[in-house]
Amino acid sequence: MNDTLQPLIQLAGVGKSYPLVQKGGHQLAQVWSRLRGTEPSHVFKALQDISFDVYKGQSVGLVGVNGAGKSTLLKLIAGVVKPTAGRLERRGRIGALLELGAGFHPDYTGRDNIFLACALMGLSHADTQSRIDGILAFADIGEHIDQPLKHYSSGMVVRLGFAVATSVVPDVLITDEVLAVGDESFQKKCIVWMERFLDHGGTILLCSHSMYHIQKLCQKAAWIDKGQLRMWGDASDVTRSYLAWHEESARLDQNDALDQASLIADKSGVYHVKEMSLHWLAQDKSSVMQIDSEKELLEIQMGVDLSVRGRIFSPDGRVPQVTIGLVRADGTPVYGVVSEMDTHVLARGTDGLFGFQIDFHQLPLLPGRYVMRAHAMDPEGMRLFDHVERSFEITGEAREMGFCRLNHTWQSV
Amino acid sequence: MLETTALSVVWRHRALLWALTRRDIQNRYAGSVAGALWAFMHPLALLALYAVVFETVFKVKVPNLYMGQPYVLFIALALWPWMAFQEAVLRGTTAVQQNGALVKKVAFDHELLIYSSVLSCFAVHGVGFAVVLMVLGASGFNIHWLGLFSLLAFVPVLLLMALALALLLGALQVFVRDVEQLLSQVMSVIFYATPILFPMAIVPGWLAEAMHYNPLVHVIDPLRNAVLGQGSFDAESIARVALVSVIAFAVARAFFLRLSPYFEDMV
Repeated sequence: MNDTLQPLIQLAGVGKSYPLVQKGGHQLAQVWSRLRGTEPSHVFKALQDISFDVYKGQSVGLVGVNGAGKSTLLKLIAGVVKPTAGRLERRGRIGALLELGAGFHPDYTGRDNIFLACALMGLSHADTQSRIDGILAFADIGEHIDQPLKHYSSGMVVRLGFAVATSVVPDVLITDEVLAVGDESFQKKCIVWMERFLDHGGTILLCSHSMYHIQKLCQKAAWIDKGQLRMWGDASDVTRSYLAWHEESARLDQNDALDQASLIADKSGVYHVKEMSLHWLAQDKSSVMQIDSEKELLEIQMGVDLSVRGRIFSPDGRVPQVTIGLVRADGTPVYGVVSEMDTHVLARGTDGLFGFQIDFHQLPLLPGRYVMRAHAMDPEGMRLFDHVERSFEITGEAREMGFCRLNHTWQSV
Repeated sequence: MLETTALSVVWRHRALLWALTRRDIQNRYAGSVAGALWAFMHPLALLALYAVVFETVFKVKVPNLYMGQPYVLFIALALWPWMAFQEAVLRGTTAVQQNGALVKKVAFDHELLIYSSVLSCFAVHGVGFAVVLMVLGASGFNIHWLGLFSLLAFVPVLLLMALALALLLGALQVFVRDVEQLLSQVMSVIFYATPILFPMAIVPGWLAEAMHYNPLVHVIDPLRNAVLGQGSFDAESIARVALVSVIAFAVARAFFLRLSPYFEDMV
């Protein structure tokens, strides 16, 4: 059997629905429908039509907002929950760390709990006996091991839980946001364990809100949204799209406030941005690319020279100022500058319009989604009237963190 | 499912079954000073109570058939098997629900929860029964020790009955919480529908006929007779009730397995 070709986990159209709580009598109806193999009448579809394969050595990260169904999916794969639709196949030993210390009982000693937890993982008494020294060494809780669990600190319980769960090296390890547990030194131990596990061809299936963890540990990622698989692919692509979507929805809330100011129906009496566009040279240098509407979203290669061009209308013929602002898609400010700061005076055109162009050289923005904004201001620079914005996405390969690449060099010292 | 028979599940997961059963037994005495000593003190205290009430206060004598047999011995022989059965069914019924945290977080065969709670009751009351028998024997009561071999037939049948009921009710209890409430009522009826406080021989004909539909009658009464040295071992009767128990167990287990994938939704 070629175990690199055969997926360890195969999901085909997998779905899970939960019965909705009903008032009296319905429970019996539910039992009856389960016995007949039909679904109860009122269900909540926690997951629908999920399909993907997990191969050996290809760790998978699950992303999605709270309540999207990530945990349910992990439980399905762990075998705690059975799918109500579709086909789910698992090969190899699957270890689940859904909750550290699940199955632990507070009244029993650490040692007793180790035996029960190991038995739950399918170990015989003798198997556990042979592993117990390793578990005790890893958990490092000393003589407390013969004390009832209720006297343990939460850190000790977690350490014991991790030690037990990792005493059997699985083919697939399923974890639900438990990578960073315990104190500093124990975290280090966990990470070392994980890295060794991955180096030895282990596969991790994890659910995390930390895109950093997912990008670092996983090759593939699945984006779960409202119980459905919204995106499946390379971890970096999925996490980037997910973050962009996240940022966008955060910005939409913020924009509502700004839009109140722009809702003036008749703009002829106030300073406003009449036109705004972004220009840059295409990657093959053959053509100049341009964004001039709010709906467009073009990709811009990292490091190009980007120009922002536009015209401001002045109702009284006096020279207006313009503010150019750059924010991330979620509204986090990156950079802002007013023409007056650089003592630039806008050039007078016809019909009370004043043109401007600002060039950004070798745009150092890191990949992600951004918004360029232009605001019209009165000649005094006191009042900000409206804003017009253009969205774009910076593409490119960069493993650095943050918004922009600061010029730097490394020195040997 | 790959594992088709209960025996193969039990064998494959014997370590887990053992750990769960051990935990269940420890649970009763966890945190108490005397610990497992209670396993001996509880049945002795109960026996002493019965002895005082029935021998000293009521001075009960079992009617004609069991002339000369003290009532306290008569009761004890039926009471401990009954307690094992009754408690096993009651605990088994709530076993899945009570281990909700486990069911929600860990993948394992849920039927083991039922088996372990039933087994732990039989173990605890089995020890109690042994203690009581020894004390009664040492006190000069006339025990037909050879009759104890018949337990090898009766106890497995009683165990199967308890398992069947616990599987059925345990699965149902997850969905319908009224089962537990109803069960304690029904159990007290069954207590009187089973020859524990009285011998079957003094039950009037029409009632005895009705009571014969209670399978416990065919286990408890002959079990006691055997240890008292009364009557003879009716192999055919025990084979019949064993067959009924096996069928009941198979049906109850199928019911349980059918519902078990949905336990996680409800616990």
